[in-house]
Amino acid sequence: MIVTELVAELKAILPETQVETEKQALHPLGNSGKVAVYPQSEEEVSKILQYANTNGKKIAIIGGGTKRGFGGLVECADILLSLANYSGIVEHAVADMVVTVKSGTPFQQLQDYLAEYNQKVALDPAWPQYATVGGVIAANESGPKRLGYGSARDSVIGLRTVYPDGTVIRSGGKVVKNVAGYDMNKLFIGSMGTLGILSEVTIKLRPLPKYESLVLLSFQEGNIEKIRSFAVQFLDSMMEPVCLELLNPSLSERLVGRRAYTLAIGFEDVESAVHYQEEFVKRIQPSDTAITILAQQEAQSFWSSFYTICPNGAAAHYDESANIEAAVKIGVVNLDVMKVIRESELLQDVCHVNIEAHGGLGHGLCQVYIRGAAESVIAAIERLQAMAAQLRGYAIVKHLPFALRRNINVWGEKPSYFFLLEGIKTKIDPNRILNDQRFVGGDLT
Amino acid sequence: MRGKGIHTNDPHIQALARIVGDEKSILYKKEDLLAYDCDGFTVHRHLPKAVVFPKNTEEVAAIVKYCHEHNLPFLARGAGTGLSGGAIPLNGEVIISLVRMKRLVSVDLENRRAVVEPGFVNLKLTNSISDRGYYYAPDPSSQYCCTIGGNVAENAGGAHCLKYGVTTNHILGLEVVLPNGEIVEIGENGIPDPPGYDLLGLLTGSEGTLGIVTKITVRILKNPEAKQTVLAYFDRVADASQAVSDIISAGMVPAALEMMDQTAIEAVEAAAFPVGHPKDIEALLLIEVDGISSGIAEQIEAILHICRQRNVREVKVAQNEQERARWWANRKTGFGAMGAISPDYLVQDGVIPRSKLPEVLQQIQQISQKYGLRIANIFHAGDGNLHPLVLFDAEKPGETEKALAAGSECLQACAAVGGSITGEHGVGIEKKEEMRFIFNDEEIIAQTNIRDVFNPKNLLNAGKLFPTPGRCVEVKKG
Repeated sequence: MIVTELVAELKAILPETQVETEKQALHPLGNSGKVAVYPQSEEEVSKILQYANTNGKKIAIIGGGTKRGFGGLVECADILLSLANYSGIVEHAVADMVVTVKSGTPFQQLQDYLAEYNQKVALDPAWPQYATVGGVIAANESGPKRLGYGSARDSVIGLRTVYPDGTVIRSGGKVVKNVAGYDMNKLFIGSMGTLGILSEVTIKLRPLPKYESLVLLSFQEGNIEKIRSFAVQFLDSMMEPVCLELLNPSLSERLVGRRAYTLAIGFEDVESAVHYQEEFVKRIQPSDTAITILAQQEAQSFWSSFYTICPNGAAAHYDESANIEAAVKIGVVNLDVMKVIRESELLQDVCHVNIEAHGGLGHGLCQVYIRGAAESVIAAIERLQAMAAQLRGYAIVKHLPFALRRNINVWGEKPSYFFLLEGIKTKIDPNRILNDQRFVGGDLT
Repeated sequence: MRGKGIHTNDPHIQALARIVGDEKSILYKKEDLLAYDCDGFTVHRHLPKAVVFPKNTEEVAAIVKYCHEHNLPFLARGAGTGLSGGAIPLNGEVIISLVRMKRLVSVDLENRRAVVEPGFVNLKLTNSISDRGYYYAPDPSSQYCCTIGGNVAENAGGAHCLKYGVTTNHILGLEVVLPNGEIVEIGENGIPDPPGYDLLGLLTGSEGTLGIVTKITVRILKNPEAKQTVLAYFDRVADASQAVSDIISAGMVPAALEMMDQTAIEAVEAAAFPVGHPKDIEALLLIEVDGISSGIAEQIEAILHICRQRNVREVKVAQNEQERARWWANRKTGFGAMGAISPDYLVQDGVIPRSKLPEVLQQIQQISQKYGLRIANIFHAGDGNLHPLVLFDAEKPGETEKALAAGSECLQACAAVGGSITGEHGVGIEKKEEMRFIFNDEEIIAQTNIRDVFNPKNLLNAGKLFPTPGRCVEVKKG
């Protein structure tokens, strides 16, 4: 079918202004579509899915586009379904500390709104100004403060999801504790839009902290053993950091101004408790380390810069000769994060790339951002994947230009229980219309 | 060949006995099976075909494979403390009891994780690591005897989940025997976010219908530096409810925020752990704050202030650990305490948005009057998880049915304000029809479709969790 026909058919089910030929059908990050549609309601999302499901059309889903380089072996689907015009707060039960929001709402917009009520969503994803709530949840994005507040699976309490056949399925609810039936929310969180389109997301909120600070502790000699013994001692104390994130020297240089392995230790509590914990860190501070404490707005502005360090699929511009960017998420046993961060630092010389990396010593997740020539970046990714396997963890590529994604297995090896994942996909989306080939295994889905 | 010491001609019993090795690891005589005809939900009873006691994952897998091949229904059972009937062998199941798989496999304090077998008792985990200052957070009231395997199946909660979350927030990895006998490991080494759909999240709380968990990696936490507990007596339940709301709105996240009403207070004071609560108050709050010691005093001050503003009659802070422990023992044995004032009781488990507390409590009062049955309320007020306890006498003809109907109506009241029919006890047999209060047909089918992926023959714990299909009921559309 030629594009004009597809446009005509879609215009029959949506207002004309919400359908257009996609100008960037061949986007360097792929995951595009020949025709872009901009639904403004759940009913419209449902109609588009019904149309695609009945007519064998494939749909790529996009929110803010920050994660466009995350998975996907299809350069251009039939339809690019954008949720950019499906945003806003549906319900905010202030006293219950629960909010329901349309999935296309930019994350920061939601946080700004909630801040007026001294509340927040306890997630700290990258690029919050651009990333949508739906995208953050669908990709299971989390940041360093996951240590203190958990991840999307700990915050999301209800979803309305449009299934490929257009049916709206509610899961969970509006209460913070709920075990009625299967915990279907979990299925959609992190499913990369391969099972359904998130329509509304209900999230339990946390109070804004009364006070916050960030202790930046830099280990001048880069002695990993010294960091380890500090971390073990600190973790064995009764302090309650919201993050304990290790930055490699390259990243520390950019954010802290010190080229050294730096621990970012965040505290959020009543003011006296925060200061008490800062004092504790000073008390056990190893020799030959430098310490800086950022309080309140200073800490907040550190974090604002921090959330812009990873490649942004919506902002990236490409030209053939330039260096490329990649992002790798590595999961290992908590304290092995140190090995990953050190290895990432050393890889820069081995592979002739620039690497900025950070990882949480209390939760085991690392993010590694690589910049360099394509073949060097691929070589670095392969080494990281090998290292993760050696540590019995995993490494997945969260950002890479489309052309290169075809040359590397961005999701790593299929798990032994892949047949269950495939079984779930086939049950829910038998015609594989949603984000085809976007997720684990590549062929899944 | 017969299994050693087995006195039956039933070839299945003989085959199962061979798998578990000896006659001490299988029960099949009627008198032995009687103890397994129900769990903590005693309204329905049914005899299992047999009870087998595997010692390891391989034996579980072999039993499951045998049942799968021979189309024998089967289910897993832990300590049998479940309150919704999830372990009742409705179809004459082979019960796979996991109580002999009770090892603490490993503890890794540096990485904050422990690996346990499913039959390991919840409280034993905390007891095993408390000398180093660590604990396992989910604390259902039955924690002294319930198993972590059962906690995973039910996604168990507890008094302290307001701040620390329920079981699912603490599970890092599972080894699972699928209904066809295949063994899979999900979340290897307890590393978070394994690529792929979140099967850990799906399995936790699936009430034993998707697989049998044979090894569990859990997150363990460091003890808080300090904790303080407050007990507040209110003349009016509305004031207590409002105080709950005020505490949360003030930006505090207490570790626990519990409420008991007058009938509940009467029962706990008549039972094994009385603490001398006044009997003429309408409600009491038990509030615990924990965290960094220097921040606690400020929060306690704020809580006392809020209570006073809400007309509290008396409010006090526990002076020592003994006093705190007495208050908690009084609360945690609250369900059983009903035995002191009523021959039988039925516990319900609705959840409501916190702000609807006064409204729903009033409706529960009306339901109580309508059925002529007393209803006590003990609940996790902080997260809106109500436990109406319907008091009745099973000896009186028709009263059990009345109690069940009253319980169901309480759940309807919860659902009507946008709540849920169960916060931590599970659906089981008890609440499967009530699933229709909150889910429509399509949503229920979406769930059974997932079950079909794992459990296509539906031999594992069939007849639980989902309403009988095709029943014509008005469906609440979202």
